[in-house]
Amino acid sequence: MSEAIRKIIVAGSGPVVWIAAAGLSRAMRNRAVDVSVVETEPHGALAGYWTLPSQRGMHGLLGVNESHFIHHTGSTFKLASEHRGWQGEGSGYLHAHGEIGTDVEGTPYYKYLLSEALAGRPAAPENFSVAGAAARLARFARPMGEGLTASFTYGFHIEDLAYTQYLRALAQKLGVRVFPAALGEVELAENGNIRALRLVDGTLAEADLFVDCSGAAARLIRHVSSNERDDWSAWLPCDRIISAIAPAMRDPAPVTQTVASQAGWLWRAPLADRSMAGLVYSSAFQDDDAARATLTAFEPGLRSAPLVTQFSSGRRRESWVRNCVALGAAAVELEPLAGAGLHLALLGLATLVELFPLNRASSIEGREFNRVMGANGDALRDFTIAHYRAGRAPTGDFWTATRAAPPPATLAHKLDLFAASGRINLLDHETFEEIDWAWLLIGGGCVPAAIELHTRERLGKLKSQDVSTLRARVQQVAASMPPHAEFVRRQAPPVART
Amino acid sequence: MPVPLRIVIVGGGTAGWMTAAAFASVYGPELRNIRLIESSEIGIVGVGEATLPHIRFFNRRIGIDERELMAKTQATFKLGIEFRDWARVGDSYIHPFGAYGSRIAGVPFHQYWLRQRAAGDTSSIEDYSLPIVASRMNRFALPSDDPSAVMSTFGYAFQFDASLYAAYLRGFAEQRGVQRTDGKIVDVKLRPEDGWVESVQLADGSVVTGDLFIDCSGFRGLIIEQAMKTGYDDWTRWLPCDRAAAVPCESHGELTPYTRATAREAGWQWRIPLQHRMGNGYVYSSNFISDDEAASKLLTRLDGKALADPRFLRFTAGRRRKTWSRNCVAIGLSGGFLEPLESTSIYLIQIAITTLVDYLTDRAVSGGKFDERVVDAYNRWIEMEYDRVRDFLILHYHATERDDSPLWNYCRSMSIPDSLMHKLELFRERGHVITYKDGLFLEPSWLAVYLGQRVTPRGFDGRTNAIDATKVASELERVRTQVMTAAARMPHHETFIRQYCPATRIEMPGVMA
Repeated sequence: MSEAIRKIIVAGSGPVVWIAAAGLSRAMRNRAVDVSVVETEPHGALAGYWTLPSQRGMHGLLGVNESHFIHHTGSTFKLASEHRGWQGEGSGYLHAHGEIGTDVEGTPYYKYLLSEALAGRPAAPENFSVAGAAARLARFARPMGEGLTASFTYGFHIEDLAYTQYLRALAQKLGVRVFPAALGEVELAENGNIRALRLVDGTLAEADLFVDCSGAAARLIRHVSSNERDDWSAWLPCDRIISAIAPAMRDPAPVTQTVASQAGWLWRAPLADRSMAGLVYSSAFQDDDAARATLTAFEPGLRSAPLVTQFSSGRRRESWVRNCVALGAAAVELEPLAGAGLHLALLGLATLVELFPLNRASSIEGREFNRVMGANGDALRDFTIAHYRAGRAPTGDFWTATRAAPPPATLAHKLDLFAASGRINLLDHETFEEIDWAWLLIGGGCVPAAIELHTRERLGKLKSQDVSTLRARVQQVAASMPPHAEFVRRQAPPVART
Repeated sequence: MPVPLRIVIVGGGTAGWMTAAAFASVYGPELRNIRLIESSEIGIVGVGEATLPHIRFFNRRIGIDERELMAKTQATFKLGIEFRDWARVGDSYIHPFGAYGSRIAGVPFHQYWLRQRAAGDTSSIEDYSLPIVASRMNRFALPSDDPSAVMSTFGYAFQFDASLYAAYLRGFAEQRGVQRTDGKIVDVKLRPEDGWVESVQLADGSVVTGDLFIDCSGFRGLIIEQAMKTGYDDWTRWLPCDRAAAVPCESHGELTPYTRATAREAGWQWRIPLQHRMGNGYVYSSNFISDDEAASKLLTRLDGKALADPRFLRFTAGRRRKTWSRNCVAIGLSGGFLEPLESTSIYLIQIAITTLVDYLTDRAVSGGKFDERVVDAYNRWIEMEYDRVRDFLILHYHATERDDSPLWNYCRSMSIPDSLMHKLELFRERGHVITYKDGLFLEPSWLAVYLGQRVTPRGFDGRTNAIDATKVASELERVRTQVMTAAARMPHHETFIRQYCPATRIEMPGVMA
């Protein structure tokens, strides 16, 4: 008969394993469920991450004080990404975590920018966005009040090692037990489920449910799954990341920089007293040594030896199989362009908690999890691919290859509708919102062939004076913020909390 | 200066006049030129029509005064739909226009109710819904704008006379420059080179040209099907009803603020209270009952004296393969038919109109061209709307324990779409309701129908355990009391209508007494 899940083992490395363990332990605290961790060897190494605003929500749930986190991990804030060269030499645009302008009679303001672009008067969205303007001015403050000062949100730039250590300590403080030895072998039960993990010291760690956070190696789920994958490499040919710690940037903006390169894209992001840089590239177009040289040319003063990580763009068809749930790269491998890797792991965790099975034998939860997380993964894939397809392409074989295959149908629908009418339709389970697509498509220089008729009528009521007033107010709000570096320095450790 | 878009609307029922009114109101006169062609020889079925709360967005968007509309269409308020005898004979549940309690710590309210039930609580889920409790007491008041008030936890719709509604919209549209042509269409001319509609020809020989043709000609689909042969997806295997007999009758007793749908041996019967009379109909499957028998059963099951002879309708549940094809958009019955079990007919018209109004681009005006990419996106959207309503309707038929007639035996054992099967299984296991961003029917709707159809969850969401049982019990108690108190404070539906929107007794042409 029905038997409840009593023991969960979360296995893996890096931030995801600790977020999952801490989150599950927190969610299960009144439910007599034991959560423990088995560590695995890190799979690959990335200097660090840029995150979406959802990371803040997760910190809130785990009781993390943000200033404490910033101070102890040397992290910085992120208001925007800046994408340079993605539409060829000299091109560049911002994608900020914030609104563009304010609605005109219920019509989003970005439609005004589209109609201006159609009339041959393109304007950069950041002129109408507090987040964008502050990003350009290298300033930062948290949103507050209402109106323009509350018209944005933010993510973080975080170093991998510092974050992993921070979250490990947090998970242990929340009562997560850590097995003293690392993962050896996976042992299966007769019914095909995972029965236990054999650790390198011979210990047998048994559980009812296993969460695989071991990265692309997928050291647990690969034993119970047919391992069928959707391969995304036709659209996203990059398969290597090389990254390292770099010197501090002078007056760093709260911005992740990406720069189109010969066989991929370079990136740079600020940390409190250093920075990090990397190159995401396709091994079919550049070998590892050449990639190292490209990164060194971009960032000559690297402070650590650049490490290469391989990945393979795509996702598991099923990331919950039997009694094993994969989170992070064990489920979906996607280049970090949109900064959504940790976000997807958080979504997986939240979905697991929401659908936590009432008894071990039930499989309907896994089917729903796979449906929802599959849709989320595909939506992030589409948003990532869209960066490669917005506007005109840079020259070079790699860039030609990124557009060789027709886009996935869901993305084609979105891009086609936008190209025809400036309209952006979202599906269920999309992380990025209409405004994010607007930043990307307008920034990439996409100009629709026409504008919706009813929008055209409403925009007619917008006066040129309203436009200049908005621009001035946006600049004023952004300029009133402190410099980002100063804001980061101010994140002193808080007084000990009770 | 742009050349105005010439819009020709073919058919003047609810769909035709809603379309005319919306286009005339949303687009300024410089943008459009609207002509509606209807034949006074072709009658309209003057039965009561029930709506969904979404109609209020439509009214607001096009600038219709709700109170005036109600007074002129013999309208009453609607807080939900009562389903009788659906899972078992003798059952009754209400699908309300509103929520059951509110989320606690991010977890749906009904999960806490399920948890308490498992611990012996005997309260009904209906006790937590203000529109249901008010409906059972025949009470009504307008909701509040204050989101913290229990009076904000519901919405409402209308029940009105559909022919009066069309007449009202006609006046509204004509005031805004819509030209009406009385005439019967005898021919549709397609351009030989691309199959676009060039013109329609009337019986008197006159020819009407246009850029965009809206086919509101009803089931037959004069342009979309008869001329263009667009094709139709038949859903009869899941929704076997294909006929209806309709008859108005005298009202007796209190005026209910809800529509009733009573399951019958070969389908179901609607009961729609209007100010001056009751609309009734029997929706049935011709495989399981004859027209004569259906009509005679209907006549014996009325609240009061029949006011006319029953009229018959024939239909096929399904959807046109493309509701927008070339320069023709099918709106209303020409676009698809889903039985009015959940009052979705006007909603589906409305969504077709507002989607079209939203999607048309300024290029369509000057060049008279419709971008295929926009057309495809429109069709995908409308398809999604129909499909989601379809699954919801099938649920009513399939999730039943009735075994007293061949129709119910068929429906109970038929195979259903995988998407619905998955939803049902997830609810049965743990009371989890799958929701979606767009399309009709939110969490409370699915919940009402699952529970009402006796789909009983085996368990509940474990996240509810984060809150102490006594706290949950007192919160549930608080909501019940709040709902009961608020409902008891509302005036009777009839009293409210009498002071808010009493019908104006103006006889409209072509409308029966």
